[in-house]
Amino acid sequence: MRRAALRWTWAVVLCVAAVSGEPPAVPKGFDFPLIQYRLKNGLQVILSEDDSLPVVSVVVAYAAGPVREQPGRSGLAYLMENLMFQGSENVSPMQHINYVQRIGGEFNANTAFDKTYFYESVPSNQLALALWLESDRMASPAITGATVERAKEALISEGRQRRTAEPYMESFFIFDRILYPDFAYGHPLIGTEEDLKRITEEDARAFAGAYYVPNNAVLCISGNFGVSKAKELVAKYFETIPRGGDVPAPPPPGSESPPPARDQVVGDPLTPSPAFHVGYRLGRLQASDADALKIMDILLTHGKSSRLYKRLVKKERIALYLSGGLEERGGLTSFRVFAISPNAIMADLCRKAVAAEIGRLRTTFVPEDELAKAKVLFKGAFLDRLTTSLPRALFLCERHLQGAPLEDLGGEFNRHLLVTPVTIVSLANRLFKPENAYGLDLRTK
Amino acid sequence: MTLPRRVAAGLLCVLLLHGTAAAQDKFRKSPPLPDPLPELKLPAIESAVLSNGLTVAVVRRPSSPTISLQVVVLAGEADSPPKIPGVASITAHMIGRGTSLLSAAEIEDRIESIGGDLVVAASLEQTVFTFDVLEENLDRALEILGAVFLQASFPEKAFEAVKRALYYDLAERQKDPEFVAKRQLLRHLFKGHPFRIATYNEDVIKNVSRQDVAAFYDRFYRPNNTVLVLAGNMNLQTASRRISHFFNTWAPRKLDRFFLPPPVPNLEEQITFVDIPQAREATIFLGNISPPATAPDHFPFLVLNQILGGTPGSRLFMNLRESKGYAYYAFSGEDLFKRCGVFWVRARVTPEAVVPSVREILRELGPEALGKVSSFEIEQAKSFLIGNFPFRNEALSDLALRAAQVRSFELGDDFWNRYTQNIILVNLERVLETARKVLEPPPVVVIAGSIGELAEHIREFDRVDVYDIQGNLKWTIYKGVDK
Repeated sequence: MRRAALRWTWAVVLCVAAVSGEPPAVPKGFDFPLIQYRLKNGLQVILSEDDSLPVVSVVVAYAAGPVREQPGRSGLAYLMENLMFQGSENVSPMQHINYVQRIGGEFNANTAFDKTYFYESVPSNQLALALWLESDRMASPAITGATVERAKEALISEGRQRRTAEPYMESFFIFDRILYPDFAYGHPLIGTEEDLKRITEEDARAFAGAYYVPNNAVLCISGNFGVSKAKELVAKYFETIPRGGDVPAPPPPGSESPPPARDQVVGDPLTPSPAFHVGYRLGRLQASDADALKIMDILLTHGKSSRLYKRLVKKERIALYLSGGLEERGGLTSFRVFAISPNAIMADLCRKAVAAEIGRLRTTFVPEDELAKAKVLFKGAFLDRLTTSLPRALFLCERHLQGAPLEDLGGEFNRHLLVTPVTIVSLANRLFKPENAYGLDLRTK
Repeated sequence: MTLPRRVAAGLLCVLLLHGTAAAQDKFRKSPPLPDPLPELKLPAIESAVLSNGLTVAVVRRPSSPTISLQVVVLAGEADSPPKIPGVASITAHMIGRGTSLLSAAEIEDRIESIGGDLVVAASLEQTVFTFDVLEENLDRALEILGAVFLQASFPEKAFEAVKRALYYDLAERQKDPEFVAKRQLLRHLFKGHPFRIATYNEDVIKNVSRQDVAAFYDRFYRPNNTVLVLAGNMNLQTASRRISHFFNTWAPRKLDRFFLPPPVPNLEEQITFVDIPQAREATIFLGNISPPATAPDHFPFLVLNQILGGTPGSRLFMNLRESKGYAYYAFSGEDLFKRCGVFWVRARVTPEAVVPSVREILRELGPEALGKVSSFEIEQAKSFLIGNFPFRNEALSDLALRAAQVRSFELGDDFWNRYTQNIILVNLERVLETARKVLEPPPVVVIAGSIGELAEHIREFDRVDVYDIQGNLKWTIYKGVDK
């Protein structure tokens, strides 16, 4: 069967929305073309043209991250990210970087808990080079005893440096495990030194063979290119890469999770100042709840005008540092806050203030102007991810791997703008219950 | 079908399949050739001068849902009165901290209500305020900007808070050996020149009064000394009308500004050490005065810089880190001002490698090493610069910044559109000629690190002047002298 090509433009979505009397017109920034199709070997392809500048970004994202690791082999996904720069059948070690840099391009990779991205942005006349490089390492990554040992050494050294330089990092790992008790969802991305040492060439080969295959990946090209030429190049470089075995979904979280201790205290003489994590396990959300939750998250934690920053850092000055936000792993969403305080008394006050601010959302309607401000921040952040080639390609890959319909991005955007003060009060009461709250206090001993 | 025919057909099939596989293998063996170089056409910079002298510059990008605003006041650190350094920076940070009608908190609320953030950067010759907003909030953004620029009131409480914040910010930055080393380099290069005022220590901040700030504002924050750049989906006519609505009551004032000649290049060999007792490694920062962006040598110098230290594939990084193993990193670069530039090399090296690293960097900048630059290297460097340039224009704020540079450095409206063409024209002869001119005078060498760790190594140099972080000369080390 010939592959089916779907071409969407937001103008079409706009018409449908207008006829049905649904949310307001899709705003500017969404009127970019989008083509999606699948190769015979299962590789999902997304093309999005933008001729503003003669640049093009190529992203290959694999649905593989630490969630695919087995106990005793933590760090394998991150190691695999590193190995992908160690060369492939036709590209010598580190030559990938040289090829891209020589033409003024930019590149990088990153690993999330369930996916790994590889990407480069190059002048648009070099699209074929980017596809050649990505296809070669998809087809034949250089996984040898030597490359695996080199990558292990680099990661062990990086892990040691980060553990020294980032004194609170370990506490994030502990709290991950509290919010996501299953090994697959809660273990650290950088792995443990013991596990990294244990990883063998065979482990890496098996991981790549199972997950770094076209039918477990998505390729997105975004920027200045011609569609027919791009399709031709994609077919040339990727279509002949053999399909891998079927990739089963990771086991859903929750089945093996013992109930975590609600509140834990860790004393560490190396902790520079007292700090704490608080989090709410919110479970599986409906789409409408997820939209409202994003707006609520912005109200609470985004930027210096957020409720928590204003109260904890600016007004009461009981926090020196504050971060927080939503996280979704395996379909389970959590909301978390981390704060560092000058002393233990202030840390306690701080934690109570976080609970009070969440309580306020349950009992008081958010003023319209504050809600409007949160929506403006949401709009800005959402549009930022679509206006230049690389962020757009990364975003499209991410949303595809999350199972979101890309043709409805405009609708998704608009639904967030429909959130009302009533929605937020109702959501806060349903989800932010005391029995969903967990905490981890860090003391200097 | 007889058996032999079946075998033959089978063989043919295998051969055909093998042939296909071989063909596939073949195209994978080597990198594909690029298509012809695409033309980079940046949007034109259109500008108009309002009746009060305010220059409005517009860079149009129709697809953009956001607008980037940059207010560029053509006065910076070098314009602070000679005895009160830091005034330019404090004045800049006081913008948005109170007006005759609005408190700092109210302004902050208004900025936040449109999802904006007013970012301030005071450099030597100019001060840039950046404000990015959604197109739908443009009028509200202009209203806020109009209020904070036209009605700045410098309330006492906000003034003290700004001074405190800048003091601690500078104190904090002094923990970074690169910052300390570069500041010391500039102190030497700008010696006897008004630019030197920009290299102040945090303690001078306490000497600045509200009256100093008000006087600086009164003199320089004038429409006829300001460029307002708007990048986004708007034409010049509409932009001028909307900007004029909020800025037309800003009163111009005649500015008595005199032509400031650029600093002269350093001509003497000098090695300076800055003692940072807690530093573990040695940080090297060396450099000299270089040509401005308007000079004919600018583009050959960009190519030369790329060859030397623009990226990890350049000579300095490959030599000092990959080949010799002396350095954690080694790069070169250039800061540009209106009438000159400052070329620099920065490297972080292990304590025992500090002396060979300095010598190796100087050798790389010398005629012998540069005499070996090949046409191939030139073309590679040009390929990088041409290929990378569009990426530096992707973000709307970068596009606005380029337009601002055109105005503040008087580059000419088509400067950035001629960038690629000017790089293409650079050849080996022009690079070598520029290298002779710019790199022949010896650079000032600054090493920052712990004197306790490094004293025994730097004794190998004939003479090293040792300074503290504040820039006070503590003592001089001579080769062969024990103490």
